[in-house]
Amino acid sequence: MAIFNLKKREIECKIVYYGPGRCGKTTNLESIFKTYQKQITGEMVSINTEGDRTLFFDFLPLGLGKIRGCEIRAQLYTVPGQVRYSSTRKLVLRGVDGIIFVADSFKVRREKNMLSLKDLQKNLKEYGINILKIPLVMQYNKRDLAEEGLPLMSLEMMERDLNRQLKVPSFSASAITGDGVGETLQGCMKLTLEFLQKQLKWAE
Amino acid sequence: MNIAKQIKGLIQEAEIYSSQGLYIEAKGKYENAAGLFQKNKQLENSDNMLSVISKRISALGQKIKSLNGTGANHEISMKAQNLIKQLFSFSSEEHEEAAKLEGAIALAKFGQFERALKEFFELLRHDTVRVVAAKNILRCHVALSSLDAAVAQFQKWLTSDFFNSSELKRIRLFLQDMIDKKELNITLPEIRSDDKGSNQLHEKDDPDNVLDISSIGIIFDSGPRKGSIIEYDVSFQSGNMISLIISSKEKEWVDSLSIGHKLEDVQYYSPIAMFKGSGLVSSKTEIKSGPKRGDYCLDIKIISM
Ligand SMILES: Nc1nc2c(ncn2[C@@H]2O[C@H](COP(=O)(O)OP(=O)(O)OP(=O)(O)O)[C@@H](O)[C@H]2O)c(=O)[nH]1
Ligand SMILES: [Mg+2]
Repeated sequence: MAIFNLKKREIECKIVYYGPGRCGKTTNLESIFKTYQKQITGEMVSINTEGDRTLFFDFLPLGLGKIRGCEIRAQLYTVPGQVRYSSTRKLVLRGVDGIIFVADSFKVRREKNMLSLKDLQKNLKEYGINILKIPLVMQYNKRDLAEEGLPLMSLEMMERDLNRQLKVPSFSASAITGDGVGETLQGCMKLTLEFLQKQLKWAE
Repeated sequence: MNIAKQIKGLIQEAEIYSSQGLYIEAKGKYENAAGLFQKNKQLENSDNMLSVISKRISALGQKIKSLNGTGANHEISMKAQNLIKQLFSFSSEEHEEAAKLEGAIALAKFGQFERALKEFFELLRHDTVRVVAAKNILRCHVALSSLDAAVAQFQKWLTSDFFNSSELKRIRLFLQDMIDKKELNITLPEIRSDDKGSNQLHEKDDPDNVLDISSIGIIFDSGPRKGSIIEYDVSFQSGNMISLIISSKEKEWVDSLSIGHKLEDVQYYSPIAMFKGSGLVSSKTEIKSGPKRGDYCLDIKIISM
């Protein structure tokens, strides 16, 4: 849950990158860490990794400046994508304000994307959150690989698979080159702040 | 399509999957490529290529196997543990022990049992959380080694006079429950009430008689929501005192409660059953820092159940 400090006029919200193993969640955070040096308010911490697989979570605190007189801070987290770390994912999801679902564009990962989205829905439900109501955006990642002739899904296909019912904003991206990474985060922050504003009525 | 070209494509795919850690997918593509070589022995250099590919396949098989073997249960750095403690606990000056407890529980959930154990042992010194800490110590022992280790720990407490009899009874109940769930044939010794203790306490106030409450439902006795019920998980309990974390969204309601206010209609949920009763608001504090900042910590004394 977002922390809203009325006296200091400060909002701190929690954004979680979710998605199947190896889809590029950690790479997204690394790209933000490199690109938004000025906004970084602390270091990026990767808690327990195995090779470059996340076992616990990555954490990156950001300061996003003032919006309507209110200081906005965001804490970015990634979850471990491997199927067997479901309980860790649930733990990291606790208190989430906004979610970025990172989908892998590889055709061979089609089913993994869908299973991960289902897992997200289930974990949210256990916290009493409806996936249709929480601020959520989609990112279709690894688009750079199309140029190398690798079999990727078309954006239309991914929309159909993952976003037919949710109908949330979606972004194509390449976390490794940084394309679309900032747009995705901005898209998610926009939804999240609008949502919090309705809930907390902080910008009268 | 030209077979040689097709194989080249498969190998290229396999290589990129492998470089991204998608080992199962990589292995699949190498297997497809190997299959094509086998069917087209006339291809240049096919025997050589086949042996290269099968080496890669078995190397990938190894990687997949070793990945399945490792888990997230190794210890991480002190600094990382501290961050977990900070990010997954709430804190306020008034409820320092509760915050420490949440932090220690988070560590245990992330598999940092050694460190969690240390924290729980420290928390034994604080009256309000010592029984919860003791239960978690037993849990950590089970996770780290075995139920026997937990039983041994309990026996140690039994022979020292660290806990009073009512505390020991609650700890015993908890451990016996864990044992029974595993269908082991162990019965822990019954705890006799120590005479000094139970004579001084009124039956009613004896924390001994209070079950572990996991959540409670409060029925509004006035205001616009009169008659409706809200439910909260108990964040910690000490005897007949339970603490709840109330979302800042309920500010209005919390404000309307004065210290000493009697909640006439409360449902207490314990692992055994639900009890109807009443409670007394004994303190309320706004949480000033940490992820729960802005929320309230409400202490309710169970007066009947
Ligand atoms: N070409 C390309 N590779 C990418 C892209 N994003 C991620 N990768 C690669 O994909 C692999 C996995 O990326 P990570 O960021 O570690 O994936 P993750 O989602 O954090 O994986 P888990 O921690 O296991 O859940 C790495 O080898 C990255 O370099 C991308 O946009 N393009
Ligand atoms: Mg990762």
